[in-house]
Amino acid sequence: MEFSFSQAAVQILKSTGFSVLTGGEVVMMAVACGLLYLAIWKQFEPLLLLPIGFGCLLANIPLGMMGNSDPDGLLYFFYFGVKHEILPPLIFLGVGALTDFGPMLANPITLLLGAAAQFGVYTTLIGAVLLGFTLPEAGAIGIIGGADGPTSIFLATKLAPHLLGPIAVAAYSYMSLVPLIQPPIMKWLTPEHERKIRMEQLKPISKEVKVLFPIVVTIVCCLMLPGVTPLIGMLMLGNLFRESGVTKRLHETSETHLINIVTILLALAVGSSMSADSFLRWETIKIIILGLFAFATATAGGILFGRLMCKLSGGKINPLIGSAGVSAVPMAARVSQKVGAEADSKNYLLMHAMGPNVAGVIGTAVAAGVFVSLFSPPDAGTGNAAAEAIHQTFNLIAAK
Amino acid sequence: MKIFGNAVIVSILSMGVIFLVLSVLICTIKILVHFMPYQAPAAPPAFSPARSTPGGGAGAPGGSAVGEHIAAITGALSAHLGKNPDQIHISSVKPV
Repeated sequence: MEFSFSQAAVQILKSTGFSVLTGGEVVMMAVACGLLYLAIWKQFEPLLLLPIGFGCLLANIPLGMMGNSDPDGLLYFFYFGVKHEILPPLIFLGVGALTDFGPMLANPITLLLGAAAQFGVYTTLIGAVLLGFTLPEAGAIGIIGGADGPTSIFLATKLAPHLLGPIAVAAYSYMSLVPLIQPPIMKWLTPEHERKIRMEQLKPISKEVKVLFPIVVTIVCCLMLPGVTPLIGMLMLGNLFRESGVTKRLHETSETHLINIVTILLALAVGSSMSADSFLRWETIKIIILGLFAFATATAGGILFGRLMCKLSGGKINPLIGSAGVSAVPMAARVSQKVGAEADSKNYLLMHAMGPNVAGVIGTAVAAGVFVSLFSPPDAGTGNAAAEAIHQTFNLIAAK
Repeated sequence: MKIFGNAVIVSILSMGVIFLVLSVLICTIKILVHFMPYQAPAAPPAFSPARSTPGGGAGAPGGSAVGEHIAAITGALSAHLGKNPDQIHISSVKPV
C-alpha cells in the first residue's frame, strides 16, 4: 500500500470533524458553551448544568459518536438509563435519603400547599396546548412547573422523548433562577401584614411515625397511582434508609456517592440528547417561554392557596410558605425565609417552609403519575385498574 | 378547540386527584401522629434532691462525695448571694 504526502494529507483532513461540521452543530456547541458559562461563572445549578452542557458539547462533535442515537457510542449506553427509566428513580433514592420529612409531618396540612403549587403544571399544560403541542407533550412540558428535574426527565422520557433536551434544560435553568423568579411574585400577591405573620414552633415527631411514613406513603400513593411507583417508591426507600437507623451504610451511600454518580450519568445522557436536529426548533423556544410561565404560575398558585389557608386558620399560617410548594428543595424554602425576613427580620419561616417544600416533591410525583395514567400507551406498564379508571373518566367527560 | 377543552378537563381532573391523594396522606399522618405521639427521651440520671448541708455530706443521699459537692456549691452560692444556706435548695447536680 503506497501513500503520497498529498493523499495522506487529504485523508487526514477528511477524517477530522471540520470536514463534516454543520451549521446546526456549531450553534449547538455555542449553546453548550452557554450552559457551561452559566454553570461555572454564574453558578446556575452547576451540578446539573455543567455535565448537561458538556454532554451537549460531546454529542455535537461530528464523528465523535457521542450522541444518544449513535449506536455503540458511550453516551448511547448512558442514555439507556434514561430511556429505561433507571436513572431518575435512582436520583429520587438519593433525594429521599437526604430529605427530612419531619417539618411536613409536624404540620401535615402543608401538604395541601404542595398540591396547590401544581396549579402551574396545569396552566402550563393548557398554554402548551394553545401553542400547538399535543396533550402528552403538553403534560411533559407542564411538569416543568413542578420544579423537579428528575420528575421532568422521567415524564418527558415517557410521554415526549423527542422533547427531553429542551425540557430538562428549561427545568434545571429555571430551578436555578428560583431566587430571582419567586420574590417579585410573592411580594406582589401578599400584603405586608401577612408576610409578617410568625408561625408557631413545630412539634417534634416520634421516630415511629418517621419510620412508618415512607411505608404508608408507598402503599397509599402507589396503590392509587401505580404509574408513579418508580419515583415515589425510590424516594420513600431512600427516606426509610435514613429514618430506620439500621442501614447507616446504605443511607450514607445513597445520599452521597450514589446520587453523585447517577447525577453524572443522568446529566451527560440528557446532554447527549441535545442534538441540533432535536434542539434547534421553534418548539424549544416555546418550551423555554412555557417553563418560565410554569414556574411563575406555580409560585402564584402556592401563594394564593397560602393566603386562603391563612384566612381559614385565623392568621396562623404565613402565606409566603406557599411558594415553597414548587419543590426545588431547599432553595424555594430559603426564598420563603428570605422574603419573610425582609418583612420582619426576626421571623424564621425556614422550617415551616420545608413542609410544603418536601410536600411539593410528592405533589409533583403524583402529578406525573396522573399524566402517566392518562397519556401512557396501555402497553407501557401502567395498565391497571386505577389508571384505566382515570383514563375512562377522562374519555367519558371528553366525549360529552 | 376540542383539544383545549380536553386540556381543561385533564387539568381539573388531575388537580382533583392530587388533592385527593394528598388529603388521604394528611389523614393518615394525623392518625399516625395521634396514636404515636412524640415522647421526650428520658432525662439523664440526675442526683436525687438533697438538702444543703454545709460542712459535711452526711445528710445527702447517694454518698459522701456527692454530699460534699452539694455542700460546697451551697456554701459558694450562699456566700455569693448573701443568703442563709438553709434558704438555698439544690435539687440536682448534673456532671458536665
